[in-house]
Amino acid sequence: MKKYIIKRIITSLFTLLAILLILFILMQLMPGSPFNDEKLNNDQRAALFAKYGLDQPVVIQFFKYVLNMLRGDFGVSYNISKNTPIAQLIQTRLPISIAIGGAAVALGALVGLILGLTAAIWHDTIWDTIATIISVIGVSVPSYVFALGLSYQFGFQWRIFPMLFSAKQMVSSSVLPSIALSMFTMASIARFTRSEMLEVLGSDYMLLAESKGISGPALIFRHALRNALIPIITVLAPLIVDLMTGSLVVEKIFAIPGVGSLLVNAIQSNDYNVVIALSFIYSAMYIGIMLVVDILYGVIDPRIRLAKSEA
Amino acid sequence: MRIGMKKISINTEMPAYIPADADFCLKNNAGEIAIDNNFAAQSFWKEVILRYLRKISAVAGLILIILITIMAVVGPGMSGYSYSEQNLLQKNLAPRIPGFDQTGFFDGSEEMHTTTGTKKINYYVENKLDHVYYWFGSDNFGRDIWTRTWSGARVSLIIAVAAAVIDMVIGMSYGLISGYFGGKVDMIMQRILEIVNGIPRLVIVTLLLLILQPGMVTIVIALMITEWVGMSRIARAEMLKLKEQEFVLASRTLGAGSFFIIFKEVLPNIIGPIITQVMFSIPTAIFTEAFLSFVGLGIPVPQCSLGSLISEGFNSFTTHPYQIVPPIIVMALLMLSFNLAADGLREALDPKLKEV
Repeated sequence: MKKYIIKRIITSLFTLLAILLILFILMQLMPGSPFNDEKLNNDQRAALFAKYGLDQPVVIQFFKYVLNMLRGDFGVSYNISKNTPIAQLIQTRLPISIAIGGAAVALGALVGLILGLTAAIWHDTIWDTIATIISVIGVSVPSYVFALGLSYQFGFQWRIFPMLFSAKQMVSSSVLPSIALSMFTMASIARFTRSEMLEVLGSDYMLLAESKGISGPALIFRHALRNALIPIITVLAPLIVDLMTGSLVVEKIFAIPGVGSLLVNAIQSNDYNVVIALSFIYSAMYIGIMLVVDILYGVIDPRIRLAKSEA
Repeated sequence: MRIGMKKISINTEMPAYIPADADFCLKNNAGEIAIDNNFAAQSFWKEVILRYLRKISAVAGLILIILITIMAVVGPGMSGYSYSEQNLLQKNLAPRIPGFDQTGFFDGSEEMHTTTGTKKINYYVENKLDHVYYWFGSDNFGRDIWTRTWSGARVSLIIAVAAAVIDMVIGMSYGLISGYFGGKVDMIMQRILEIVNGIPRLVIVTLLLLILQPGMVTIVIALMITEWVGMSRIARAEMLKLKEQEFVLASRTLGAGSFFIIFKEVLPNIIGPIITQVMFSIPTAIFTEAFLSFVGLGIPVPQCSLGSLISEGFNSFTTHPYQIVPPIIVMALLMLSFNLAADGLREALDPKLKEV
């Protein structure tokens, strides 16, 4: 197990390093230099280069760059808000994105579990069909279509919830974006829960539990669901990551001042520094989540723990 | 008859029973015999098609795909407008279809929300455009939404299919080679794959679009770089399953080279899961394209895709909701039908597979 964890951590670090390398190369390829002023003579330019370490070999520059990125020093923004450190821009936005993303994951996982359980317990009935239809639609229709629909119906037509996000009405204005974001998670979890539960319910140990006289909720929740949950946790990780992509568009639609809308703005106004900083943050989050889930998976399921430590 | 014989053996005093002709008659069980008929051996693909056709949702998905594809081909030429033709005098007109003038819908009227309440306006009548019909309405520049929706569907479909096919070729070759050679080759190829897979798709696509010009080719390249990983995993897993089988050994004994075995012997045997994966990657590609267009990195104007149409319609979707509805419905149907068809295909190709 220890060996497995160490191996996973090393792979993750290499991935992060690879991303930093790609980002660094991109920075070098970007057109223009920060010191393109014609008033500067060669000596002044050399002095500036020396000050920012641009006269050093590329390898040393790269290591400096890596250190800066890891410390959270991403440089300054060019276009969105001139000369503001990017770390400062992100600081205020990240909590909002995480809050809405977290709400979406929680909602999606909960509703998805209920739907999947319903479909599995009442297999081949009308409930199963309804749950399947809901999950197929949820998987197929992009989150921003839901976002637009919800925003039009609940926000504009019925005026139950605000159409746009506002910091004053944090809770009520987060309802619609969270629902829109959670649809894909919900549908995937529902499909997965259904198939896992059907497999568990048909297994020998369920028959044993039933013949011992356990029935009703205890049978479903204590014996079946606990075993079905293990694989579900693994699909949750990629789903959380998919939320990042979804959040970009949903944040734009509901005008949420989060990281996603910052990235969209940065792309549209060619603010390279911000794009690269956010790419790094997204990658780091992604790698972190994948690492945690992989390790968690081993901890939860003894079969995997044993198999991995033998290998 | 046997019961009769038994009776005789028990009760010997009874006279022996002599069977008459009337005792023997046909059982008339033609119905039972008919069950036991022989099937002609069917080819694998014939059986797959039969299994596929048995699933209603899969057939519905396939029909929808075909319908939308046909409309994407012929639709833009039907209304008589071109996708880029602007007519600023006829902008923001609601849908109006000939023959529907009296029915109350598709008659060119729309509801306007003002501070004093909602009222119904028909710009066709107000501007005296008696013989002008925009089936899906016209947009902010007076372009026909019908034509734009279908030419957008065409662009989206071309991008998605191109990306899926290129992914298939790259991912399949990578996975097959990695799985077949095993050992060090596999180790190195899998580590590379892990690192590529560790970078979020969103980041790859964004960075790529910083360097390259937005456009159809760029989007296909972006999709190509990100989507091949799943395909290569499936190809590798199938290869690992098949490469120990006798037919591979036989081929090798007969002197076949590695690449002959990979592409001529193993590949035809794993074509099922590969096709299924292609079908599943098409909706992903459509979604990614739409997402990129929505963010502003998509197809350059005046060309349009479903994503860019939705993005345009979004700007005025509270005042003119009819502008965003057609592209959204077409895209949702397209993704739904590809998902349904892929689901059906997966079950048809491998009936033992558990549903996911």
